[in-house]
Amino acid sequence: MIFLEYLLIALMVFAALLAVIFEEELISIICLSIFSFALTALYLLYKAPDVALTEAVIGSGLNTAIFMAAISQVRSGRKNHVSREDE
Amino acid sequence: MKNSIVILLLILLSALLIFSFDFIPEQEIVVDSTAEHIITKGLQETGSLNLVTAILYDYRAFDSMGESTVIFATVSAIVLLLSFKTLPVSSQGLSFIVKNTFGFLAPFIFLFGLYVITHGHLSPGGGFQGGVILGTISIILSIVYGSAYDYRKYPPKTKTLLETGGALLFLFIGGLGLVLKGHFLANVNPLINEPGRLISAGVIPYINIGIGFKIGAGLAIIFYSMIQKTYVEEELKS
Amino acid sequence: MIYNLVFLLLFMLGFYTILVKKNLIKLVIGLNIMEAATFFWVMALNYREGVIPILKTGSKAAAVVNPLPQALILTGIVIGASTTAFLLTLIIEINKYANVIDLDILKGLRD
Repeated sequence: MIFLEYLLIALMVFAALLAVIFEEELISIICLSIFSFALTALYLLYKAPDVALTEAVIGSGLNTAIFMAAISQVRSGRKNHVSREDE
Repeated sequence: MKNSIVILLLILLSALLIFSFDFIPEQEIVVDSTAEHIITKGLQETGSLNLVTAILYDYRAFDSMGESTVIFATVSAIVLLLSFKTLPVSSQGLSFIVKNTFGFLAPFIFLFGLYVITHGHLSPGGGFQGGVILGTISIILSIVYGSAYDYRKYPPKTKTLLETGGALLFLFIGGLGLVLKGHFLANVNPLINEPGRLISAGVIPYINIGIGFKIGAGLAIIFYSMIQKTYVEEELKS
Repeated sequence: MIYNLVFLLLFMLGFYTILVKKNLIKLVIGLNIMEAATFFWVMALNYREGVIPILKTGSKAAAVVNPLPQALILTGIVIGASTTAFLLTLIIEINKYANVIDLDILKGLRD
């Protein structure tokens, strides 16, 4: 139990570090999803199944989806901008 | 120069936090505290086995109403900012393997969402979690089948209707408590007051259903408003 | 105490991201990390030996984990998700008018 907890905490800190270090937004968001997964397992260890279910559904699922939507919007806008400058 | 200022600020804040760690109170449950009352008397007073659900939808149900008002305000602001009128036109979606797999899985995800909502007072879960699971179906549908399919299957009018209906159900139950027991959102007399049954715990399952549909439809609307423009632009280019 | 140190590390990481990074989406990521660090800290300090706060039928109240902070954190996670969605919507709108999401260019410091 203690070993598993420390392992998950290490994974969480590592994923957060990667999410901050990478400049590419897509990789950052995948790392944020891993961070959320480790947090879910930790909540289960801390005897809070309700919070774990919420974190799994919102942190790993919904947040990733809306971040992806925002990034796809921003990238498509940037592409249009570049093509307009070329003309 | 700028980096050194930032690092100095971080060190100062860390020192402040480390100093304040000494003042954290012990987490032992004190006799006659709120937690003690909820743990010992929560089951008799609310009839809900899950104490977190008992807090969220009975003791602090008014707070949950404020929370769903925050979600409502977010949905309104996002729909106002990203105009709701542009029609989505992406119709290709992903490959047929993904489509068939999701078509097979979707009813089970829906069933799981309904289970989490309705068994909120017996097992982990409740309105918020189950609602997000239901909203995820619409999100995956617009990714896998293309947003035009999602638009035809669940048009924004249906989602708006579900969201408003959930909020109105919550308010109606609150008014019921006001009429029958004298205060807003009171846990009115349950039909069968035997803990552990599906129909028990007074009005908590019905509040769960209202909140579930409200949150699910609201998050589906948020995602729908955020993706639509991309597909329109891509379609125009090709 | 390891929980305090982990909280301090993650919180400072998020704060550093907000102060230093120029990409607006990275700012939202930093905010998310700060939020999650606080939630983790509260849940870790709340834990004690006991069973999950779901009682069995007919049994008396045993030594369960304190359910009050769990309900608070549950509320906080849902509010955090809606805040994230709103911030990302604002970023999409900024990108629509300025075509960049870099803070320096937006403030006119750099072309």
